Amino acid sequence: MKRPTGRWETTTGQVTGIALLFVAAGMFSTAVVEFAGGEQGPAMALAALVTLVAGMALWLWTRPGQIDRATVYSAVAGTWLVVSAFGTLPYLFAGTFHRTGISFPVILADSLFESVSGFSCTGSTVFGSHNLIANQGPGILMYRQFTQWIGGMGIVVLVVTVLPALRASGLGLIGAEAPGEGGDRLAPRIAQTARRFWYLYVGITCLIAVALVAVGMSPFDAVAHAFTTASTGGFSTRDASIGYWDSVAVEMVIMIGLILGGASFTLHSRSLAARRPVHHRDPEFRGYIWLLTGATLVVTILLLDDGMGFTRALRAAAFNVVTLGTSGGFGNATGSGSDGDFVRWAAGPQLILLVLLMTGGCTGSTSGGVKVMRLVVGVSHARRTLRGVRHPRAVLPVRHGSGTMAEPMVERIAGFMVVYGMLVVAGTLVVAALGTDLVTAMGGVVGSLGNMGPALNRAGPTASFVDGFSTPARMVLALLMLVGRLELFPMLLMLVAPYRTLHGRVGSR
Amino acid sequence: MSAALLMVGGLAVCSGLIDLLGSGSDSPTLLITGSGMGLLGSLLLGRVRGPGRTRPVDIIVATTLTLTLGILLVAGLYLMTGATQRPDDALFEATTGITTTAMSVLDPAGLGYGLRFLRAGSQWLGGFAALLVGIVILPFFGFGGEFADRSRSGGYRPLAPDEASATRNILRLYVPGTGLIWGGYTLAGKSWFDGLLLAMSTVSTGGFTSGADEFADPSVQWVAIGGMLLAGSSMVTFWHLFVGRGGLHRQTGLSMYLGLNAAGVLLLVLWSTGVDLAAARRLLFVVAASVSTTGFPMDVPSEWSTAAPVLLLLLVSVGAMSGSAGGGLQIRQHRALMKMALREMARQLHPRAVLKVRLDRRVAGEDTLRQIVVLQFLFVAVTFSTAFVVAVFGLDLAASISAAVHATATAGPVRGLDGVMVDPTEWPRSVRLALLPAMVFGRLSIYPAVVAVASLLSLLRDKARVSRRYRAHRHGGSL
Repeated sequence: MKRPTGRWETTTGQVTGIALLFVAAGMFSTAVVEFAGGEQGPAMALAALVTLVAGMALWLWTRPGQIDRATVYSAVAGTWLVVSAFGTLPYLFAGTFHRTGISFPVILADSLFESVSGFSCTGSTVFGSHNLIANQGPGILMYRQFTQWIGGMGIVVLVVTVLPALRASGLGLIGAEAPGEGGDRLAPRIAQTARRFWYLYVGITCLIAVALVAVGMSPFDAVAHAFTTASTGGFSTRDASIGYWDSVAVEMVIMIGLILGGASFTLHSRSLAARRPVHHRDPEFRGYIWLLTGATLVVTILLLDDGMGFTRALRAAAFNVVTLGTSGGFGNATGSGSDGDFVRWAAGPQLILLVLLMTGGCTGSTSGGVKVMRLVVGVSHARRTLRGVRHPRAVLPVRHGSGTMAEPMVERIAGFMVVYGMLVVAGTLVVAALGTDLVTAMGGVVGSLGNMGPALNRAGPTASFVDGFSTPARMVLALLMLVGRLELFPMLLMLVAPYRTLHGRVGSR
Repeated sequence: MSAALLMVGGLAVCSGLIDLLGSGSDSPTLLITGSGMGLLGSLLLGRVRGPGRTRPVDIIVATTLTLTLGILLVAGLYLMTGATQRPDDALFEATTGITTTAMSVLDPAGLGYGLRFLRAGSQWLGGFAALLVGIVILPFFGFGGEFADRSRSGGYRPLAPDEASATRNILRLYVPGTGLIWGGYTLAGKSWFDGLLLAMSTVSTGGFTSGADEFADPSVQWVAIGGMLLAGSSMVTFWHLFVGRGGLHRQTGLSMYLGLNAAGVLLLVLWSTGVDLAAARRLLFVVAASVSTTGFPMDVPSEWSTAAPVLLLLLVSVGAMSGSAGGGLQIRQHRALMKMALREMARQLHPRAVLKVRLDRRVAGEDTLRQIVVLQFLFVAVTFSTAFVVAVFGLDLAASISAAVHATATAGPVRGLDGVMVDPTEWPRSVRLALLPAMVFGRLSIYPAVVAVASLLSLLRDKARVSRRYRAHRHGGSL
């Protein structure tokens, strides 16, 4: 297609346009599924068409411009906002959240919440007893799963694979979107690096889908859950989530898939290149496995103390620790008050889950949260500082595994933790002010910022976020999901580039 | 050790003398034990010499051990006088007293003059210890030295030119401050003794009271509000007033402290229904008690938003000004953290820029900022660990978090989510005991206590290593 000359120079517009084209492709695919077994095929196709037109318009009428750090943040955050907004179209056109007595703003808010929760891989949902997942068509169900899958590896990473004009700035874009501290270069070219990430991601998704079929899931459910397992998203095609199958084998496959998704994709790539696992050499991965194992053991002991049998306690503890520790957010509760319904557990195990909601998986993975590496460095930094009191003249580096962490990186991590803590506190206060109790508000904010999914108390694994949070509170949570998915800074700084442009224009007059 | 013995001994003797005003039944025990402690303390002070070279870590460890010993001595006094028969209750009461937390398990109505004075006095000593930690120990031997008031510029006397002068200057403000508040309570209608006890609890941000209706009178409420606001303010502020340096309006920390109180009241008024002037005064009382971490009990409107208890919990964890007797993470630390957060955002755009953090018109050292981040990390770690242990021992999730935050911030009685004060005697004993380390850590601003524990562990490890080598040597020799 011949592109018009004199195009508007905006990197944000160009990246967003291509991202919308990918999303439109996904919408068309899921519309086909809906045509095959549901009633909302035309509506979904229309949503795909609108997204396609918008994407084409942006792609054709813009070209990549200046790429400095402010533009990178603006491009990434802008893309995520626009994609999340267009992501609501299938829900709106298909009438997914239409209910009697509910006004359009609330329907729009619910659609936006589900869309943001999908793309950011959070997995919190507004479906519930008032609006069952079971009543939805297969296309809508697959579309929800697809949003998590595309958001898991990153929409911008996908864009970088096909946008050679970005050249070296692509790594900055990947770094701004990728979970953890910057992006790793897997190949000499940035587009190759991005492609390698996506090949790995597709490979892991296929493996999980095959394994799920092998343990008894239908192909539709297997593919759908493979999407949200590899992306550590947590959406399910069933109201009871994984609890619907009540199968240890299914839970095992999901747990292994989540652990893989929560580990660094750079490590997966290196293992493939070396033709043997190299994960055990990585201090962050070791910390991640120790954390999950330790938390599982402690929660099991506490559940045993509460009178649950050993097998049931181990199963409930392992699944919920892994699903929250990797920011998956699936549930294995077979109903309210069943073993896997962790809001019915005693306060001790719930507090461990709250800590896991914050922790998340490894850097360079699809998981959310603070990340194990930052926690390990934070602990090491604290130890170094305390040792410095006893040995004031000693030069004490911050160690990470057998290596030493550079001071600017340590400061950056410390700064990240400070901002993260402030967002949790401020978010909890705002959400509580919008009519939520302390525990639900704190769980919801921590879960949203960490892209985890279920929260505590009134928004547990068997509840809907409609039950726990008012509509304005859900909007705050949706914003926090985006902030958390982009590792805080891009979303917080996204207005800097437009401000500069505006300021420059006003100033030049 | 001698400091703890002398101070607690002195307190016991005073309590014994004051008990003579009533039945005097506890006087002999208090006088004899207090004299014994004083003598032992004097003996130690005269006989034991410190090492030639004192490292900062030694001072920090000694501070922690002194506070711990003080708690044990006061607990011993409670047991010996029969205030309680249970060692765990005595330990809890002593800890909540010395750490100025005020989650009391004793019924003050059943105590004589002497023991009531001992309770209030333990808080007064704890408040003084907190001021020493915040103004002398941490700036001189820990971190934040650049914010200590040491400069003689302009010909004014600084608060803390050196350790000894700083201690004297603190006493110059702390004792008259107590007297001022005592006078206020007396003028408001309290008896001289009740006024004295309340003044000691107020100035130290302690929070012990002698009964549930202690603050029924509005004029007493006003005095308490003023006292709590004063107690939560930095000593440096008062020192500047004392030496005629002025410039209060330029003190950002003070503005933030007062602003925090005002914002808290405003939000609580907005989030409550049917607030008249009397209710607004009670809300101001509650906010001042939370921010200053005094924790005096007060009823709140029955209809309030779900956000109100969250706000109060937040205010408690923010705490009072640095350099005050109040607890929490404290306002200067929060200001530093906020500025660091802004600097981090600026750094995202300008990674190579040299960006300094300024507080109180001084550039904060990178070491100080690093230690403030670690302090925040430790504060959260101590709170979460305490909440976890308390939750395992039987409290529900909200109560566990609330109790842990109050204990770490040394902020007194816990308020439930419905706004009603929780009676700690309703908690299991294991829960109460689990809160004690958090109170001690919180009173010592976390950092010295962690350093002391780390040093102790290091010492034990070294001892074990030496012992192991010795055994290995002997084993090798016998072969």
